[in-house]
Amino acid sequence: MPSTRRRVLTWALSLTVGCAALTACGGSAQQPATSASASTGGGTGAAGGLIAIITPSHDNPFFKAEADAAKAKAESLGYQTSVASHDDDPNKQSELIDAAISRQAKAIVLDNAGADASIGPVRKATEGGIPVFLIDREINATGIAKAQIVSNNSQGAQLAAQSFVEAMKSKGNYVELVGKESDTNASVRSKGFADVISQYPDMKQVAKESANWDQQEAFTKMETILQKSRDIQGVIAGNDTMALGAVAALKAAGILDKVTVVGFDGSPDAIAAVKAGEMHATALQPAALGATSAVEQADQFIKTGKTGKEEKQSIDCELVTKDNADEFGVFARK
Amino acid sequence: MTATTKTPAAVPAERSAARARRLSLLNVAFELRAFIALAVLIVIFGLLSDSFLTVPNLITMTKHVAINAVIALGMLLVILKGGIDLSVGSIVGLSGVVAGELLGGLHVGGVIAYPPVWVVIVLCVTVGMAVGAVNGLLVTRFNVAPFIATLGMLYVARGAAMLISDGATYPNLAGHSALGNTGFGLLGSGRPLGLPTSIWIMIALAVLATLLLAKSPFGRWLYATGGNERAADLSGVPIRRVKTIVYVISGACAAIAGLIIASELTSAAPQAGETYELNAIAAVVIGGAALSGGRGTVRGTLVGAFVIGFLADGLVILGVSTFWQILIKGAVIILAVMLDQGQQRFKRRGAAAAAVAATKHHD
Amino acid sequence: MSAPVLRACEVTKVYGGTHALKGVDFPVTAGRVTALFGENGAGKSTLMKILAGIEQPTTGHVELDGRPVRLRSSRHAADRGIAIIHQELSLCPNLSVTDNLFLAREVRTGFGAVDRRAQRAATRAVLDRLEERADPDGLVGDLRLGQQQLVEIARALLQEARVLITDEPTSALTAPEVEVLFRVIRELTAAGVAVVYISHHLDEALDIADDVVVLRDGTLVATARAGEVDIRWIVEQMVGRDQDTLFPDREPVLGEEALTVRDLSVADPAVPDRLAVDGLSLAVRAGEIVGVYGLMGAGRTELLEALAGRLRPVSGQVLLDGRPLDGPGIRERIERGVVLVPEDRQRDGLVQTMSVGQNLSLAALGTYVRGLFVSQPRERAAVARAITDVTVKTSGHAAAIGSLSGGNQQKVVIGKALLTGPRVLLLDEPSRGVDVGAKADIFELMAGQARHGLAVLFTTSDAEEALHIPDRLLVLARGALVGEFRRGELTREELMRVSDGGTPKDGAA
Repeated sequence: MPSTRRRVLTWALSLTVGCAALTACGGSAQQPATSASASTGGGTGAAGGLIAIITPSHDNPFFKAEADAAKAKAESLGYQTSVASHDDDPNKQSELIDAAISRQAKAIVLDNAGADASIGPVRKATEGGIPVFLIDREINATGIAKAQIVSNNSQGAQLAAQSFVEAMKSKGNYVELVGKESDTNASVRSKGFADVISQYPDMKQVAKESANWDQQEAFTKMETILQKSRDIQGVIAGNDTMALGAVAALKAAGILDKVTVVGFDGSPDAIAAVKAGEMHATALQPAALGATSAVEQADQFIKTGKTGKEEKQSIDCELVTKDNADEFGVFARK
Repeated sequence: MTATTKTPAAVPAERSAARARRLSLLNVAFELRAFIALAVLIVIFGLLSDSFLTVPNLITMTKHVAINAVIALGMLLVILKGGIDLSVGSIVGLSGVVAGELLGGLHVGGVIAYPPVWVVIVLCVTVGMAVGAVNGLLVTRFNVAPFIATLGMLYVARGAAMLISDGATYPNLAGHSALGNTGFGLLGSGRPLGLPTSIWIMIALAVLATLLLAKSPFGRWLYATGGNERAADLSGVPIRRVKTIVYVISGACAAIAGLIIASELTSAAPQAGETYELNAIAAVVIGGAALSGGRGTVRGTLVGAFVIGFLADGLVILGVSTFWQILIKGAVIILAVMLDQGQQRFKRRGAAAAAVAATKHHD
Repeated sequence: MSAPVLRACEVTKVYGGTHALKGVDFPVTAGRVTALFGENGAGKSTLMKILAGIEQPTTGHVELDGRPVRLRSSRHAADRGIAIIHQELSLCPNLSVTDNLFLAREVRTGFGAVDRRAQRAATRAVLDRLEERADPDGLVGDLRLGQQQLVEIARALLQEARVLITDEPTSALTAPEVEVLFRVIRELTAAGVAVVYISHHLDEALDIADDVVVLRDGTLVATARAGEVDIRWIVEQMVGRDQDTLFPDREPVLGEEALTVRDLSVADPAVPDRLAVDGLSLAVRAGEIVGVYGLMGAGRTELLEALAGRLRPVSGQVLLDGRPLDGPGIRERIERGVVLVPEDRQRDGLVQTMSVGQNLSLAALGTYVRGLFVSQPRERAAVARAITDVTVKTSGHAAAIGSLSGGNQQKVVIGKALLTGPRVLLLDEPSRGVDVGAKADIFELMAGQARHGLAVLFTTSDAEEALHIPDRLLVLARGALVGEFRRGELTREELMRVSDGGTPKDGAA
């Protein structure tokens, strides 16, 4: 049946063309660093060479802001960049690092896919002569990466909790929404909250639920918790997405004005909610600051062989409230 | 010639007859198993928590059930056909994002047009139907296995949602009265006649689906196509049309669920609805439908959605750890399917026993 | 006669609501070939599957060496020395001949790995014994059907079983291959192996048999020594009734030409470059029953499926009442009045998940619609009428289709077709796998429809049916018409000769 075959071929062709077009639209932000770059030599550019930026999925605006900031900084310093996402898949992360090695990148800026699972790939890159600069998340090993620049989750959580307690006048019933329980940041933040709040005997935790960092899940869980008791004066959440889910549920129940909601991350949506008075506060993680700092140190290392800094560096979070909300942009001060 | 002639020997007939009766009783119990499971859940949670069996809580839980039930009703049709639709979760996300984009204004030749809410809703449902139509087209015209076709569309639709939104969430979908596009929030937070809109939507869709399946020729064609595609084809059933339509309906249901979620949160995230397809499949399966097609009811699917939803909310009210919640949900799904297998086996054995008993009586 | 090695005792088997076997006692004796005869659906294959452990009896049991034994699986039976050659090939086409022969019985080396060399040598030896020159490393899928059947036989031989069950082993073999198989079987019986032999070729089976057993409608009706009976006696026992009551005489009242086929060619769906129907022309008049007789692969099914709109013809023209019927699919043809009762009712005729009534009304559902919905009273009335008209024995329209016997299921498929109000009724092997009583009902039904002015075209591979049922018989060989006869013009022997088409046929002589 030659006619059928031709039709199938036409389709296959148009699909391929379509894919190519889509890739083109994605532009440099989504240059897949995997198979296309298997050939050597193509990577090393005229100016400063290539910096590979690898982060978790960009469907989270935090990682997007991080990647965008690193890319902008690197290009301003005269480097080529390749930006890719490992989607929290250690295997994909390993492949992306292999690709960076074969492209002879000058440095890798990495927000890694797991504190233990990432040690091997980072070592592989270092042994391949490519310095790795970790941002946002640590790995459980030192002396391999050139720098580990993370925001201070514990300090941020305490900052948020302090503001939360003050807004509640040190007493009342509150709900805590925890992030994905398998994620280290979820427990670090939860512990930071507890360190502060436990000092106030009149602060009573009536529910502690995981909402997996997810807005719809936080909404549903909050509604269910409200069925158990509407006597709630505060909600503190491990990230802003969950805080906003709780806000929607409280708004639907008509008691938002009586409840203090505090989040974490400092996402643009949360800052808008703070401005509108729907949320009391959020702890902003300076994602952009960490990313640009990593690129600056990479630049320093490429030129001098030293970063001039300790390996472990932490960047303090900043509290965003109605008073200072106008001063902040996308995960950074304006 | 040493030829001999024989007749079947008589074996005690009563025993077989009694066995047939017992098996048919068991069969009835199996038939009602999802209802029984739901009743058991309600009783257990009611005993363990004072706030579980209150009218407001039942309404809230039903509201949570409604989202999964709406998706599951579409999924039921696809599963009745013997297919599967993995793309519904992504359609939920896509539909919300499209709503967010449209409520934020359409740039038409330099002018920004703000379509009214009903137009937004119609367009979002149309987008869901379009994704469903692509699923149907892939399955019927290009002979792609439903699992593969809809798995592909799971990624395509999610990717499209990400591209449109650039990965960001659309905040504040409440609209502005000056622009004439307020009212989107009513879908999620309105309470006509005291019940949330989403519950009314679920009821309306369930009634429509029941009529479609039980009364319309399309429903019969669907059961026939799922039960035996070749026989349906030879009986003149337009099987390609039937198959395409179920994917379109499934896409529409998922889009409606996406709108409800976006309206409840008055914001739309492109990653909304991840893994919702699995919840919907679970509801359909707990409701007694066969993944091989041809067997399943609207009633069962609704009960399945209620079992999943009440279980999840009840465990939250009791304060059970998240990890246990996940594990218990999985156990319930497996138990439901095991019971279903048991029922099928009993049905066959019952039929065999009845047939043996019947011949014995004829002798 | 020595005591039987293997024996089925009072075995009953029920599928759904259908009795495949009703209290059958069947002995298998060492060193002898027991030939099992019976029509399609008489229960031969079911009985063999029970003896080989593939199916479990509903009641009754199996005895091995005089002791009751529960054969849980074919593997379990094989371990006890019972091997079966299946009617349907059970080979993996993607594996080599050797791999197939040793599947799940791999020869291991000392290290537990598969000993390929030993397996290949054993394969070579067993193929030599069957005088087959296939490559032990070649893929089974690349062999022709007859060779595949020999591989299936070789696999059973490798088991060195005490009981060898052969279910239609020769259906795809050439005459010389059958000779070889018979020689091997005689060697086996001489060595004390018990052999059960089933074949549609009665003469061939009688030739190799020592003992003869006949099954009819799931009941064992006769046993005899092979030397004491002839084919005529076997057929009498198989059919079990006077042929005159099974095949009633009728005087057709012929009307206008209803169905006309001109130069129809249809590609073989399995082998697209081969024509299953090759330039065929025929005509059926209103009130006429026309039979199409042909051997396997003669193109009967493809002809009917093309007429019903399932297969698209390569060329040719089909006319209904003189108007062309080209193009449209199944649905449109049913609306125009051409409907098919398919050969395989389980696969193509019935929806097992639906009730008797829903199956009956499926093809004509559109005619019961009021507004948007199916009118239940209209549908019920039509279904009730159909159940009486085609004499379905059922507890009611809501009964599960699986609760019906094979014959009654077939009547439901016919009833479904008749509810569409056809002008032309196409039936593909309508009597296949139904018991004798239902067979007579079905023929009566066809005659009744013809009296009402329908044009009836049916196919059969049963010579007796072909000679007695149709007003006019068309004989098909290799997709072409090789003869056309009125009823009574032809004897059985002449029919056999004609249907061979003068060329050597696929099966054994």
